[in-house]
Amino acid sequence: MVTIFINGEPHDAADPSRNLLSFIRFDAGLTGTKYGCGEGVCGACTVLVDGQPLRSCLSTVGAVAGGSLTTIEGLAPEGALHPVQQAFIDEQAMQCGYCIPGFIMTSVALLNREQSPDRAQIREALSQNMCRCGTYQRILRAFERAASPGDVTHA
Amino acid sequence: MPEDGTPEAGLHILGEGGLGFPAPQRTYARVAYGNTQPDAEKARWLTVRPDGSVVAYAGKVEYGQGIRTGLAIEVADELRVPLANVEVVLGDTARVPWDMGTFGSQSTARVGLQLRKAAATARQALLEMAADRLDLPAGDLRAEAGRISSSSDGNRAITYADLIGGASIVHDIDSDIALTPRAEFSVMGKTHTRIDAEARVTGRALYSQDIVVDGMLFGSVLRRPWRGAALQSVDTSIAERMPGVVQVVREDDLVAVLADTDEHAAAAMNLLQTQWGEPAPTASTIDLPEILLSSAHDPFVTQEAGSLEEGFTAASGVLEATYFVPYVSNAPMEPRAAVASWDGDRLTVWAGTQRPFGINTELAQRFGLEESQVRVIAPEIGGGFGSKSPYPVAHEASRLARIAGRPVRVAYTRAEDMIYATMRPAALFRIKSGFTADGRLVAWECHAYHAGDRPFLGRRGSDSPYDAAHVRVTTYTSDSPLSTGSYRSLGAAANHFAREVHIDEVAAAVGLDPVEFRLRNLSHPRFRRVLEHAADAHGWQPAAGASRRGQGIAIGVDVGSYIATAVQLDVGGREVRLDRVTAALDCGLVVNPEGARNQVEGSIVMGMGTALYEAIDFQDGRVLNAGFTRYRVPRSSDAPAIETLLVGDDDTPSTGAGEPGIVPIAAAISNAVFDRTGERQRELPIQRHLR
Ligand code: FES
Ligand code: FES
Repeated sequence: MVTIFINGEPHDAADPSRNLLSFIRFDAGLTGTKYGCGEGVCGACTVLVDGQPLRSCLSTVGAVAGGSLTTIEGLAPEGALHPVQQAFIDEQAMQCGYCIPGFIMTSVALLNREQSPDRAQIREALSQNMCRCGTYQRILRAFERAASPGDVTHA
Repeated sequence: MPEDGTPEAGLHILGEGGLGFPAPQRTYARVAYGNTQPDAEKARWLTVRPDGSVVAYAGKVEYGQGIRTGLAIEVADELRVPLANVEVVLGDTARVPWDMGTFGSQSTARVGLQLRKAAATARQALLEMAADRLDLPAGDLRAEAGRISSSSDGNRAITYADLIGGASIVHDIDSDIALTPRAEFSVMGKTHTRIDAEARVTGRALYSQDIVVDGMLFGSVLRRPWRGAALQSVDTSIAERMPGVVQVVREDDLVAVLADTDEHAAAAMNLLQTQWGEPAPTASTIDLPEILLSSAHDPFVTQEAGSLEEGFTAASGVLEATYFVPYVSNAPMEPRAAVASWDGDRLTVWAGTQRPFGINTELAQRFGLEESQVRVIAPEIGGGFGSKSPYPVAHEASRLARIAGRPVRVAYTRAEDMIYATMRPAALFRIKSGFTADGRLVAWECHAYHAGDRPFLGRRGSDSPYDAAHVRVTTYTSDSPLSTGSYRSLGAAANHFAREVHIDEVAAAVGLDPVEFRLRNLSHPRFRRVLEHAADAHGWQPAAGASRRGQGIAIGVDVGSYIATAVQLDVGGREVRLDRVTAALDCGLVVNPEGARNQVEGSIVMGMGTALYEAIDFQDGRVLNAGFTRYRVPRSSDAPAIETLLVGDDDTPSTGAGEPGIVPIAAAISNAVFDRTGERQRELPIQRHLR
């Protein structure tokens, strides 16, 4: 039996080899984290472990035992949106929206690491995720808006 | 109406169920998708609730195109309520009017019009109620922001909520009702954030992959290793003893493991011992051109004018070339998934399909039920790009749930989704053109060979828009080793690729700039306008032949919308770096400009993938590169800066913005690669063919 904390709540897992993404989605019931490829290449399943990004589809519950996870549902626990979430809304950075939780978690992780990342760092981080609807230009703008609120000039 | 038949409080607007779908389209739906049109009984289209908020009902689904917001905007304007007060219920066969399916922007426009009429009917009813209550002539009243007030005395006013109170009022749509003139729109045509955006950024939006119901089992279905493979024998004894396995099902062609978790189901599935029978397929990627040509049948002339013989005789130059596009995968971000649950002889299925009513009919037929005993709910859909009309997992989940006596979930893995869903057909084109020395096209002969069994896919967008007097375009249906289906713009993107590269070749052959050459041969004003706008905004630099700058352009038309796209790129080794794309779109009146731009940007990125990287490879009938590790799609590091100009007239009816963006982009890229390198790229994906 292992215990992990998701968005501050303890969750017990009987089987440490349980796939982390499946555990989050089906056992903990937090379906905001998505399955896109199961191979670690699309980023739809990105969660934060102690603030850093993890592709949950390639991990197990045991691998993060005792760790503190944040999923998309835990970003705005008080109701007010996280600035990154708000920026994705403001820039209309979504179509079907299936990839968006993953992109938001990747963005938050980068901002946790770097206060003001340069363009190359942003591109590098965001290219870890896929958006098949092709909203990249808007996602990039949303990131920039969230990273430097106040000096975004475009509408 | 509510399920128990008693109308709940509110103002309800009813209309014919299948309205908006003229007879030819119903026939098309039946022939193409097996839909049946239920007797046109009345359905509820709109309700103004006792608190003044509004719910609109439509049989469409939201799969990324922003339809929920688009429809809400139309209702908000017509009913004079803030956008935030409008909710739109979509794709639930128990709650919304019948709909053929979400695949044509024309039918979407028709549903929008129907909702506007419903909203205008509601507004009229409210005005009449207010005239009564305020004891004022209706002509003196106006509706604004959810209330009705006197034009002469602003203090005399009443809100929609107060007008309705606890009453239940029912009206039929007045189909002749006067709609709000354009000049009075206050919501339409402006920038709005999507009404469903917050659900998406918080993870609350539920997709089929996310549906979990009490007591649900996870199903893993045995998949055939190649198209047409027949199962000869299967040994399930080991799988049955695996942890978490509840049942191993075998019913006719369906073999599946049902288990308590997704992982247990998948692990046991791997332990089935199977034997697959003949015929073993032999076709491989390399055989495609030969297959497309030698198996071609059912030639169909989509365009004919003059006499080719005369045209080629009159020509001073003739150019012949062959073009090829491989199979590509729609690969929507969300792999298909369905959950089915039986309650006695009533079946509920959550399935992210574009045609919930079609699937409803199919399931009713399969199980011998009335259509009303089946409810299909299409939740949010994580993309589809045309391919989520067939939805086999809905059938599998329903069959398994019936056998197990418990709800069952069946979900494709990414690899399954790429292999067992349909792909865009591979196609080959032979084009021969004749032209004069001063750059006039006189003859155009095109033979288009599209794989697959649905001729209408390949016919779309095959016509040439240029002025040549002697034209014949013939499309053929060719055998397909892989299963094909709808893809964004159907065959139009492939047809446009071949045509617009060929046009570029002719321009180079006659020593004219590609924009200049096109304008010389295009009299259609909407084509000329988009072309001029795109070239202008892009900063097009006229040049005859390869200028080495890396600029390329192409035009297109799809779903009644006209587009021209210019690109700027660089080539380094076998990598193409797309820097900048400028698109000018004329889709008539624009309801939601940001939504339209978003769609064009997405189409460009998707089309860029088909131009540069994407191809499904197969050997002996088996797909080799399923999954995103082996099938490259564009990422943010690949994506160009995109500028989209909306150049249509407000007086021209709205046409689609979701598909036209993809039709010229591959040709524009190929033409730009030529401009940069001097080498023509007649085969996709280009990066495989760069030296
Ligand atoms: S689902 Fe984990 S990276 Fe794609
Ligand atoms: S919005 Fe659909 S995959 Fe990104």
